[in-house]
This record gives sequence, structure tokens and C-alpha cells, in this order.
Amino acid sequence: MPESPAATRDALAGLIPVSIITGFLGAGKTTLVNRLLKRPEMNRVAVIVNELGEIGVDNELVQVSSEQMMLLNNGCLCCVLRGDLQETLRDLFVKRRNGEIIDYDRVVIETTGLADPAPVMQTLLTDSLLRDQYRLDCVVTLVDAVNAPGQLTQFSEPVKQVALADRLVVTKSDLVAEQTLSDLTERLREINPRAPLRNATDGEIELAFLVDVGLRRTHADLEEVERWLGTDEEHEHGHRHDENVQTFALRFDQPMSWAAFTQCMDVLTALRGPDLLRVKGLVNVEGKAGPMVVQGVQHLFHPPLELAAWPSADRSTRLVFITRGIPKQIVADLFAAIGAIGSK
Amino acid sequence: MAAEGTLRPGGGAAQLALNMKLLGHHELAGFGGVGEGLNMQKAKDGRRILWMAHESAPKNFTAVDVTDPRNPKMVVQTDLPHNDVRSNSLDVVGDIMAVAYQTKKWGLKPAGMDLFDISTPEKPKLISHFDASGPSSRGAHCVFFVDGEYVHLTSGSADFEPTHPKDDQFYRIIDVRNPSKPTEVGRWWYPGTRKGDSAPPPPRHPRFDGGYRPHNTNSYPQKPDRVYIGYIDGGVWILDISNKAKPRPVGHLQYSPPYNGFSHTVLPLIERGYLIVSDECVRDNGEDWPKLTWVVDARVESNLVPIATFPLPPAEVFTKRGGRYGSHNLHENQPGPCSFRSETLIFGTYFNGGVRAFDVSNPLQPKEAGYFVPATPKLAPKGSAQINDVWVDEKRIVYAVDRFGGGLYTLETTF
Repeated sequence: MPESPAATRDALAGLIPVSIITGFLGAGKTTLVNRLLKRPEMNRVAVIVNELGEIGVDNELVQVSSEQMMLLNNGCLCCVLRGDLQETLRDLFVKRRNGEIIDYDRVVIETTGLADPAPVMQTLLTDSLLRDQYRLDCVVTLVDAVNAPGQLTQFSEPVKQVALADRLVVTKSDLVAEQTLSDLTERLREINPRAPLRNATDGEIELAFLVDVGLRRTHADLEEVERWLGTDEEHEHGHRHDENVQTFALRFDQPMSWAAFTQCMDVLTALRGPDLLRVKGLVNVEGKAGPMVVQGVQHLFHPPLELAAWPSADRSTRLVFITRGIPKQIVADLFAAIGAIGSK
Repeated sequence: MAAEGTLRPGGGAAQLALNMKLLGHHELAGFGGVGEGLNMQKAKDGRRILWMAHESAPKNFTAVDVTDPRNPKMVVQTDLPHNDVRSNSLDVVGDIMAVAYQTKKWGLKPAGMDLFDISTPEKPKLISHFDASGPSSRGAHCVFFVDGEYVHLTSGSADFEPTHPKDDQFYRIIDVRNPSKPTEVGRWWYPGTRKGDSAPPPPRHPRFDGGYRPHNTNSYPQKPDRVYIGYIDGGVWILDISNKAKPRPVGHLQYSPPYNGFSHTVLPLIERGYLIVSDECVRDNGEDWPKLTWVVDARVESNLVPIATFPLPPAEVFTKRGGRYGSHNLHENQPGPCSFRSETLIFGTYFNGGVRAFDVSNPLQPKEAGYFVPATPKLAPKGSAQINDVWVDEKRIVYAVDRFGGGLYTLETTF
């Protein structure tokens, strides 16, 4: 007897999306989170912050609170990072299931200023409980217009934070000259040409810019795929300042075997794992009806999952690489050597 | 104000949900206690009618038009002849509905099964009554009727004298091809439960003597030579019913003791060769915990192997929420135009644990896909919702019912 439609679970649709807000010291993460917390659309959002004390909410906005958490009147749950993030996310899910906290349906994480966002992203890939319940939705990197030009030259962390971002938010833009701002924007575009960029003054930014970037369902349409992967009419900049960080896309028109693809990625991660900052894309695998979704952060990859169908007539493999010092040609050559397939 | 230690408006009795959203709620005119008979009819005029058997008197059954699940409308509600009988179970095929009747004491009437013509849902017309009363019978507890030809019935009868009063019901196959004259064509009972059997009476469960009776007796058109029975304290049975006159056991699984008995529903995943087996929690406040939902490998029917249980939320939390907490009914992949069927997504009810969905794509590691626990209904006698049974339609809209006052909840899933 044939099964009814929708007889199986969508591997993505039931997962709780997680947005990561990162940025170097003084970039204005706390200001942005403080502003965000009070907005009505934060209903049923759990926000993980570094310190509750830094959250400037008036008493009348707080509905209930404990040492570790407070529930605001708008339905936003504010939770302090306890121990490590893995433990906090696990604890939140268990408390949600037990009915001890609200049924949050989204998580926003404020990272510490010095944090490398890669391990935060990897937490969602490595812990089996977290992988079953959450999905990475978006990495938002805040860039301080006043201090970033210096920081991007002096330190490696801010460069990596910018490189890994799905969304870039430039803060304090009202405090710098127009030319400084446009130079900074150009610089950010060189490091990360694909992430949409917004200016925010005084931490004001709407939630919609920070969410619904990652794939939300295996029946994703073209718009959803492009929101996640970026479109192809990318300006692949010359790398004047940051030759080190490179963002590029590879396309392969012919389907490849899954074995060939994984072998390429195995070689890359074995030899250059730490420099393979982020990989995401769709792979046309021989014999599969839909594309395989690939997402990796350095040496760690999410277990592959198949979309229900191709979102458009274009069935070529599309892979976006963000690397530190691995040029496009090297990766293209590797695919050619292992998979005997040519990229475009 | 939230209870101490919770960060949830209204405290622990508020609604809990993951990947299920409430669409509508109907209190069934103040008689919101529903048993374990749920089935959906597609009426000739296109309306989708959900039929529900009540858990106890005074109401018999209620029909609700759920064509728009956001706005359920009651179509009919009927009464029982007296308060010592309950209907509890029903099934619908086309425009015919079978309803079970079980009395509180042995020897009372009506005890057995009614067949109704529900072609006009507002006016169910009695076609016939199948009498199963007798000095040692309380009548019928459960019907399984999906092919329009045979009712698989859990019932006593006038000619059945059990060796123990709790073992008064057994498996009966009733031919209803002529619905005016339902006729028994076969029966089977646990060896030793009928006086005169050569086998000795089976041992009583040492802590919770639930009895040796069938509960659900499921048989599907795509495998018509099998019936899958949850036999309460007798465990799980698979019978070969290719000869309906002589059902023959081909598989048996007994896991109680050490577990606490009351095997309830055996849902076969026919294509994959697995069984989903639910126990019934029958005591309040966790007294008979654990009451689980099992995944059983039935690829070799003669060697049934439990391989996993569904991941349920912690007993130490939910057994304190009031009333019962643990497994009970499943959506049973019934045939029919308004029924969800899946070999990987299973929906079950867990009393104060609400209605819960599980993904058994990997039978060794079932995963929670979603849940809905209603807020405590008004005047709830147990101080919590007690979700008793579930129906899922072909669009994956979920219909969950409360055992006491909560009535009907309609839900959509987002997984």
C-alpha cells in the first residue's frame, strides 16, 4: 500500500536554527544583543550571552528570572553561557523538553570578543545531541568601523571572523568619515565577497537580516538555496590586502561519484584542514535524485544529506570555499586529478 | 506566576511543543473525555468527519467535522443506555462504523458491538448489534475494522468461562460482509485462560496483574493472513489467520516480568519487517513506570527481538506532572482515504507526555521528531492533560484527544 505524502521526516525542517553573533572586542555585540532582546519578534528566541549583568533590561521587562536565565515580557529567554557552549545548548534543550523553560524555536549566541567562531560552529557538528536538534543558520560578524581597519591588519582573529560570516554588520559607521567607511567596506568585500553587508548605528538591526540564511528544509527552493549559498554573479576580487583569505566558487557540470567527492575533501582536510575555513554547497552525485548538501568548517563536515529535488534546472555542482591561502586552482586541480572532472 | 525554578509563563502546566503547532481545539460540548476509538470518514458530500468513542458514560460517540481543522464543528453526539457501559473503541470503513461496548460488571448488557450506517453523519442508523454478553463476559473492549469485511474484536462471549476473571476477553473474528448479520468465524485465546484448556493458567504478573486479554488486534489488507495482538500481560502475539476458522500462533514476545505488563498495540511496519509495540500506563504518578514504546525486529516472526525503545522525556519530571505518564495508543497506519501511513514516522500518545512523533528510519535509534503537550485543561481531574489517543490524516494533520475533559486538539507538524 503506498504511503501518504510526507510520510517521512524532513531532515532539516525540525531542527532549531542557531545564529552566531561574533565580532572583535568592542565591535558592539552586547549593544546589538541588548537592542535585539527587546524587540517583539524575539518571542520564543533563546539568546545565549556571556554575562547576564551586561544585559541592560529594566526590571519591568523581566517576567521571571533565575541566576542563569531571565524570561523577558516579549517572550525572549536570555541565558548566560555556562561552562562551555556545548553544555549550555544541551542544557537548554533538556530544560525545554522538561517544560522548565519556554518552547524557544530559535537560538542566538553572542560569542566572546576573542572567539574564533569556527569552534562554535563545530560544536553544532560534533555533538550528536546538538546535531539532532539544532542547525547552524547564520554567522553574523560585527565589524567596528572605528577600530577594524587597524585590527584587520594586526590580528588574525578578526579576519577569520569576517571570512566565516554569512552576514556582515558594520557598527559605529556614524563615527567615521565616509572615505574610511568605504575603504573598510571594500576591504571586507575582499575578504568575504559573498556575505551581505549592512551598517548599524547604535546596535539597531532587524532580526530578519540575521536569520533564515541556512537551509530550512530539504524541499528548499532556488531563493532559499541562493540565500544560503550566495548567487554566482560574484565579483571575485583581486586580493590586495588579504591575499591570505580567499573565497571562491567551483562549478562542475557533470555529476560525480560520492566516493570521488569525499576523497577530494579528505585530501584537502588532511593536508590543509585548518586553512579550509568553510565549505558549503550542493553536489550532483551520480544516481541521486536531489543534490547532496555539503557543509564543513575546517576539518569537520556535517553528515551529508540529500535535498528532495534540485531547486532549478541548473544541476551543476556548486561549492563555495573560504580558505586561508589555498587558491582556487589548487582545489580545482585536485578535483580534476581525483575525480577526473573539470571545473568551470 | 511561574512555578519556582521554571522560566515559562504559567509554570509547568503550560503547553509544551516541538515541531507541532496547535490549529484548533474542541471541548466536545463539555464531554471531552475520549477513549481509544478514532477514525476519519470522508463523507459522500466531501466533508471529513472524525469519529470518536468516549472513554466512559454518559456519552457513546461524537463526530466532528474537521474539513477545516482550524475550525472543528460538532456534527453529532450520542448517549449510552446506562452508566455501567462504555463504548471506548470504534472504527470506520466507508459509511459503516463498528462500535464496541464493554460493561463494568460481568453479565450486563449491552455488551458486544454495534454496526452503524453513517452515510448521513448527523443521523447514524443502527444496522445490527452483535451480542457478546454472558455470565462471565463484559462484552467488547476494542474493534479493529479496516477492510469492510471482518471485524477483529477483543471480546468475551456467553460460552467462554475464563480461568481467571480478568482473562475474560479473547480474540474473535467477526464476518460483517452482511452487516445485518455479524457472525463469528474464528477465535483464539491465550492457552490456559479458558476453563477446560489443557494448558495450565498463565502466571499472574507479580506486581501489576493486568490480565491476559487482547487489547488491539490489528490486521491489514496488504497482509491479510496475519493479526498482530497486544495481549496485555501476555505480551505480543502474531497469529496466522490464513484459515480464519483456526488462527495459529507464529510469533510471541513476552517481556513482562521484568517489565510491568499491559502490552497494548502492535503496529507492524509490514514492508520493513519491524513492529512498534506500545505498552499502556495504567497507574498514576509513575507507579507502573516504565511503560514504553518498543521497536521489535520481526523479520523472523518466530524470533521477535526488541531492539530499541522510543526516547521519552524523563520520568522523574513527567511522573510528577499529575495523572498517568507513559505509553498508550499509536496511530495505526489504517487504510482509507483520510489516514496517514508511514513506515518511518510513528505518532503515539503518552498521557501527560502529550502526543509525540518519532522517526524510526534507523530502527536501532529512534529519534524524537516532535511533541505537543496541551496546557492543563479546565477542571482536569488529574491536574494535567491526559492525551489518550491519536489519529493522523493523510495530510499529516494530527488529531489528539484527552482521556478526561480536554476534548480534541488539531495540530500541524513542521518536521
